Amino acid sequence: MAAVSGLVRRPFRQVTVRDAINQGMDEELERDEKVFLLGEEVAQYDGAYKVSRGLWKKYGDKRIIDTPISEMGFAGIAVGAAMAGLRPICEFMTFNFSMQAIDQVINSAAKTYYMSGGLQSVPIVFRGPNGASAGVAAQHSQCFAAWYGHCPGLKVVSPWNSEDAKGLIKSAIRDNNPVVMLENELMYGVPFEFPPEAQSKDFLVPIGKAKIERQGTHITVVSHSRPVGHCLEAAAVLSKEGVECEVINMRTIRPMDMETIEASVMKTNHLVTVEGGWPQFGVGAEICARIMEGISKKPVLEYSQAQIKRLKLAFALSQLSLPSPRSCIQFPGCSCCSCHWC
Amino acid sequence: MRKMLAAVSRVLSGASQKPASRVLIASRNFANDATFEIKKCDLHRLEEGPPVTTVLTREDGLKYYRMMQTVRRMELKADQLYKQKIIRGFCHLCDGQEACCVGLEAGINPTDHLITAYRAHGFTFTRGLSVREILAELTGRKGGCAKGKGGSMHMYAKNFYGGNGIVGAQVAKDKGVLP
Repeated sequence: MAAVSGLVRRPFRQVTVRDAINQGMDEELERDEKVFLLGEEVAQYDGAYKVSRGLWKKYGDKRIIDTPISEMGFAGIAVGAAMAGLRPICEFMTFNFSMQAIDQVINSAAKTYYMSGGLQSVPIVFRGPNGASAGVAAQHSQCFAAWYGHCPGLKVVSPWNSEDAKGLIKSAIRDNNPVVMLENELMYGVPFEFPPEAQSKDFLVPIGKAKIERQGTHITVVSHSRPVGHCLEAAAVLSKEGVECEVINMRTIRPMDMETIEASVMKTNHLVTVEGGWPQFGVGAEICARIMEGISKKPVLEYSQAQIKRLKLAFALSQLSLPSPRSCIQFPGCSCCSCHWC
Repeated sequence: MRKMLAAVSRVLSGASQKPASRVLIASRNFANDATFEIKKCDLHRLEEGPPVTTVLTREDGLKYYRMMQTVRRMELKADQLYKQKIIRGFCHLCDGQEACCVGLEAGINPTDHLITAYRAHGFTFTRGLSVREILAELTGRKGGCAKGKGGSMHMYAKNFYGGNGIVGAQVAKDKGVLP
């Protein structure tokens, strides 16, 4: 299948997340010759998950570069190239492997703009699948949203659907800061409706803004990446029982869009966060902490007498140990809680 | 005191009355340039390697000497400030190693790219920053080259991608910086 930009555009066609990212990268590679992609298997193999299909044939060896299996090496090369003025997209086969290169991501990329007093920027994008896949076991299933979301100097985005994926990869490439884009392998093949405005070459999703995927009045459900789909399915089931959930797709982990979340919690007075990461020190923990610290500078207990609970779901089997529509449905009875798998 | 004054006046009067023959002999004892032999490198897949001789002119020699002396004095001062706890954190000095940075700068152009590890003060100077900016950065002042936020190992200049705190980090970054 040729790169998607060659296809005829019709309003609201179905595009998979994989093709959306491919389209986004293709458009940015065309727009700016300083952009290039490097990573394992991105060129001749068309991408380990076929995300960069067709790009090597179109742009050649100088723009799409296969690297050896050395994350620390090629991440360092990418950071050096970014410092010298290019705009690299560094693909990690999964973010678990980024741990090999995390020194380059944090110490060389994230901290440099600050430590140089604003002299040296690093316009790089680190992208790749994050979180659990199908049966790949613990070493290949970690969610890095909390780890990277912790670091000042980095922007961290986490798309759910095709529109998010295309808009966020384009915004990330155009941003002059280091951006980590946490995709999800299981979402790559899922098709979504692509609105006409997303088909434009200048379609950008702003980094730092969440999206309310479903309006509701009884409870706020906040999530990012694949669990957003679970939340929407759970919301559909709950609405039959008369509970209307407001589902928020965070889209960006850092800088977090607390305004949207706060406005929603002020409306509903109930909050559930759902994520694929571990509970301790996680994204949900941060949201709960910030809600507790105060909406409009008033501590939340004063405002709505809400209780914060963190609930762990102890499932035996790995399939059940991830957020699923069933687990999301179990908890709306509480006032405010975070769901995680463990 | 009187003896000292007498000695000084002798030296001064003696300097203005050098006999012509002495001047002539003196001029023949100094050369204006020097030739150095460089050890030949083993070559792999190359037709010719770097040159085996090089000539250092008097002007260049004096320029390099001045640069090395400046770096030496700057580093000694930084050492003193560090011991007085005016410079905090890490302070990796290159007094005694000035020839590395000055010699390297002599062999490259200002448009070439340079990146180094944590012993970066000498390279920062040879890449064009002033001693004032370097010492201000070491002491954490906003007049420093990174506004005091980087310190000893994080100084950047045009075509100079800094020191690096993490040992070995510069190796991979260097491959990316190369045009």
